[in-house]
Amino acid sequence: MTRFTRWIRVTTIALLFIGTTARADIAIVINDASTVRQISHSEAVNIFMGRYRRLPNDSVALPIDQAPIKARFYRALVQKDMAEINSYWARLVFSGRASPPQQAGNSEDFLDIMTHNNNALGYVDAARTPPHMRVLLTLSE
Amino acid sequence: MKSLPILLMALLLACSAGAQAQTRLLDDRVTLSGFGTLGLIHSDQDRADFVRDTGQPKGAEKGWSARTDTRLGLQASVRLTDELDTVVQGMSQYHSSGDFSPELMLAFVRYAPDPGFQLRVGRLGWDVDLISESRYVGFAYPWIRPPVDHFGVLQLTYIDGADVTFTRPVGDDLVWARLVAGRSDSRFFMSDALEADFDAHNVLGGHLNYETGPWRFRAGYTRVRSEVSFSGGDADLIDQMFNIDANRYLNYLTGFDELQVYSLGAAYSSGPLQLQAIWNRDILADGDTWLDTGFVSAAWRMDRWTPYAMASGTRTHDSREDPIGSNIEQNTWSLGLRYDVTTHLALKAQFDRIHTRSPGLLWRGIDDGWKDDQSNLVSLGLDFIF
Repeated sequence: MTRFTRWIRVTTIALLFIGTTARADIAIVINDASTVRQISHSEAVNIFMGRYRRLPNDSVALPIDQAPIKARFYRALVQKDMAEINSYWARLVFSGRASPPQQAGNSEDFLDIMTHNNNALGYVDAARTPPHMRVLLTLSE
Repeated sequence: MKSLPILLMALLLACSAGAQAQTRLLDDRVTLSGFGTLGLIHSDQDRADFVRDTGQPKGAEKGWSARTDTRLGLQASVRLTDELDTVVQGMSQYHSSGDFSPELMLAFVRYAPDPGFQLRVGRLGWDVDLISESRYVGFAYPWIRPPVDHFGVLQLTYIDGADVTFTRPVGDDLVWARLVAGRSDSRFFMSDALEADFDAHNVLGGHLNYETGPWRFRAGYTRVRSEVSFSGGDADLIDQMFNIDANRYLNYLTGFDELQVYSLGAAYSSGPLQLQAIWNRDILADGDTWLDTGFVSAAWRMDRWTPYAMASGTRTHDSREDPIGSNIEQNTWSLGLRYDVTTHLALKAQFDRIHTRSPGLLWRGIDDGWKDDQSNLVSLGLDFIF
């Protein structure tokens, strides 16, 4: 029993370690039916920060926030934490200038929006890119 | 003042509802959100009362006051189609009616057929410089309040009209421009015995913006033509003693009926550092009198803590001998600290040292001959969004 407990503990720690190291990058993705192949970092900032939401193929970008990894994404994109991101949006929303990205509450909602809209831009853990999604830009964490 | 306890209750309820994210209804078409500030201010000045802007009829006397900075705003946004949306915002704050009665701050329809173009029609914010549109949203900036030396005078609350915005990318940078036309009503309190009602029937303006990396730059120009009516004890006195039309006389002296505002601004935000600087020149009718206002601010974010420092100043240039005592010369040093309790709630503390050489319109309850004095303010604030 003691040996079993120790094995469980070692395995858990190993898995946690693997999980930590695997959490390396975040990928900005689009439905692979889109003609867009890649975007630059400044285009990604313009789209997700509400400055200029146009895709390289000239269509209107629809950015999607995904709650579980939102904080990691904005840290990687603009080096700001969620209080700073909310402060940024408070300025734009309450002056009626722009709206933040649409929020997907969970991964099912997220996949639903992404698969039904060729202009929807989302972000995922780079190690877990869903099928039928094309990576446009990878952000290092 | 009866409504202050009600507003405070509402603010506390909003806070106790938790730092919730924006409430979204009806399949994401309707968004309800809000912002607010619970502000406390302590002044050591017993010869004049501090106001946030000239729309406030009474100021913070020596001691503690919750009136100056406390406010609550509620907003509904409705996405009608992919190209059309509408925004309505109401706000309660201590303002020119002398109470916390709510005002309609935004009510517009936006047509945005393209990321490079948008048209808004209805009630819009007063967008005269980099942050004037969002000056009531405490959560959006590090300070307790935007600098009074800059935002205290000659600011309209909103514009009823239309604006168009054009945005173009230039390489990795962005250039955007906005043109606005409309009208507005505002009431300014020039002293305890003189107030000015602005029927600003012709507001025209525009600004050009350049955004590159962490930098934002803006140059703007706005012209406001108004019918100004003066009232209060001083206006009555002019009528009676000199048997002349006080409105004509005071318009002649103040030049409020035609105002031009030039503005230059820059903001930088990268990593932990935030810098902002704005300078405005408000030119009054005859062109011989103008008001320069400006500030420089630096903030440094360390995890949840953001210490900041700001210097601001305002000065009237007047070739005459300040005929009605409205000329201002003042500068302020501010030091403060913002602490983000959650991602939707921030606590702030700020110390202001104000050197008033000539109070002009910026103070209330002024003792005769008060000038060349220092005031110390301590302010505490709780800002939230939901």
